[in-house]
Amino acid sequence: MQLAYSSFAHLTFMGRLSHHEFIILLISMAVMLILSRVLAEFGRKLKFPIVMGEILAGIILGPTVLGLLAPNVFTTYFPSIGNTSIALDGIAKISVVMMLFVTGMEVQLPMVLKQGKAAIYTSTMGMIIPFASGFFIAYYFPSLFGVSDENYRLLFALFLGTALSISALPVISRILIDMNMFKTKIGTIIIASAMFNDLIGWLIFSFILGMLNTSTGEAQSVWITIASICGFGLFMLTIGKIIIDKSLPWMQKKLSWPGGILSISLGICFLCGAFTESIGLHAILGAFIAGIAFGDSVHLNQKAREIIHQFVTNIFAPFFFVSIGLKVNFVSNFEWQLVLVIVVLAYIGKIVGASLGAYLGGFSKNESMAVGVGMNARGAMEIILGTLALNAGLINTRIFVALVVMALVTSLTSGPLIHYFVGKEADEKKSIETI
Amino acid sequence: MDYSKLKKRPSYPFETIAVAVSFSPRLEAVLCEAKRISNLFGSQLILLHVGDKTPEKEELLDAHIKKVGLDKNKNRLIWMDGEPVDTILKLCKLNIVDLLILGAIEKENLFRFYVGSIARTISRRAKCSVLLLTQPSNHPKRFKKIIVNGVDNPKTIHTIKTALYISKHEKLSEFTVVQEDDLPVLSMTIAESSTAPEATKIKKEMMQDENIKLQKIVDGLDKENIAVTIKTVHGKPGYAISQFAKQKDADLLVFNSPDTHLGIFDRIFTHDIEYALANLPCNLLIVHSRI
Repeated sequence: MQLAYSSFAHLTFMGRLSHHEFIILLISMAVMLILSRVLAEFGRKLKFPIVMGEILAGIILGPTVLGLLAPNVFTTYFPSIGNTSIALDGIAKISVVMMLFVTGMEVQLPMVLKQGKAAIYTSTMGMIIPFASGFFIAYYFPSLFGVSDENYRLLFALFLGTALSISALPVISRILIDMNMFKTKIGTIIIASAMFNDLIGWLIFSFILGMLNTSTGEAQSVWITIASICGFGLFMLTIGKIIIDKSLPWMQKKLSWPGGILSISLGICFLCGAFTESIGLHAILGAFIAGIAFGDSVHLNQKAREIIHQFVTNIFAPFFFVSIGLKVNFVSNFEWQLVLVIVVLAYIGKIVGASLGAYLGGFSKNESMAVGVGMNARGAMEIILGTLALNAGLINTRIFVALVVMALVTSLTSGPLIHYFVGKEADEKKSIETI
Repeated sequence: MDYSKLKKRPSYPFETIAVAVSFSPRLEAVLCEAKRISNLFGSQLILLHVGDKTPEKEELLDAHIKKVGLDKNKNRLIWMDGEPVDTILKLCKLNIVDLLILGAIEKENLFRFYVGSIARTISRRAKCSVLLLTQPSNHPKRFKKIIVNGVDNPKTIHTIKTALYISKHEKLSEFTVVQEDDLPVLSMTIAESSTAPEATKIKKEMMQDENIKLQKIVDGLDKENIAVTIKTVHGKPGYAISQFAKQKDADLLVFNSPDTHLGIFDRIFTHDIEYALANLPCNLLIVHSRI
């Protein structure tokens, strides 16, 4: 007994949370959850995306507001060093892995295939043009973004291209539901194309992070990274999917509800995350692909799907989004020229690309524009991508702030712009009928 | 080749029915079923065989035709060399076939399924309606329970009308149109920003819109004395209805023809009719409405 006690004492010395730190951690977590919920609910009334309230909570609790008004309170409850900070960072990291898992669960590749030509054109053009425009500007004009290190120019250009090409599925689907367009032809194409964009975007981003991890950056590393991503994806979407599909009915029948399905699904998520992290890719890739394999199963019932979403979205996502504001000063890092460049690039690339794709896929001019502006919403996905890039040292805080602003602005303007183009289409149809 | 007669040709009546003949143990049973169906609709029956015309095969087929009681003068027999799928599809077009009958096993092994068997490949590509018979019998029975996929698609009305046409000939008193309730991404959206009553309302409204559309189609049909029931099942499109057909012990499951060319990716990331083709729950009719 004495021996066991001394072992624990040793662990405490090595870095366990002290009694005081544990209380601080609990208080900070409570404040993060409650404030983000209050602000998110307030924003919901105004039809703002929930992520906006969560980011705002972080800004209020972080160096931007609390750090300025009451620096002592800020450093006591949200310290940037020490065990509490490590614990919060760990929670945020786990949260992002889980968020990518639930994002993957909603990527339904069959839906993209089902929509055929229109979805393929919209999603590929909606990726290629913003990616190319972002890559071109970042690669040839790196000084615009304050990138001076030649070694990172290519990776930064790849990142910006990816950041400009992804879409935010939850924000888009909410807009479509509110506009009663979720099940329309336009709505279905937007959703299917955004799913495909997310898939390709996260694969490219995993490749970039994988490249960042390799110290040499030689050609062989590139191929090993690509082969690892493809190999893991292929395994999970074939054999992994079959195993999940076969075991899900048993899990849902024999294990306690909903605890069983929650534990196993998140267990698979963490295992896959650990595997991809161990082979030099980021854990998010493992979680994302595991989510696709899990979510695609015909045996995953709607209720189980909802429970997993509720658990991750309402408990872990706020920790992640609030923690962003805790680390970054949004005022001192706000550079309007940079914000303007990124916002303009985001709008032009995505709207032109996705609209052109939709037009080639058989939509009318106004319908194509509605698809383009719908896909322009970046929301939470962009913020997750930006945070991971910031943590990996791929971008600086000023670019990160510009990306967050772009994500929020594009999310807020998507709804009214869809409304405008759908209305214009209806007016034109009416005038033709009158003639 | 003039295919103009095929364009906009309605999916019924079945004026010409073809049956693919392969020298398998089920040949006689498939012929018996084809005879019953062609007699039921008063159609001309064409027997198609792709392969060498040898005296042994001719003799064997003649014996089967005689045993089944098919009139050789009334019905036609076509032999042709070539690649089976393309040749059968070409012959169907040339002869303006309205319904092609094929024998098919319920579940193929994984390799065959991904590579694509003859019957399944024809089902995916045919420009006429295709009937896959899973358990053809030498003593065919009429279709008693018919289930139709009521997916929100312009083709559905033609598919339901075709199923109704079959039901009338089979003298059924009812058949079921199934609507599948699958709302992708909704869980994520609801989890993010909806209260419980809002979530229920959203789900209800979404299904209601589709229900109203389907009800309008059904109301507009000339049903005579047949009662058409609309049933909603939950789950992935194609899979949910297949499970429902299996549970209800249906005799015939009716689907629209695919909207796009289905390839290997559609089998890997299975969706819609591919779920039914992967594991046939009963006889499957794929209606090609030629719209």
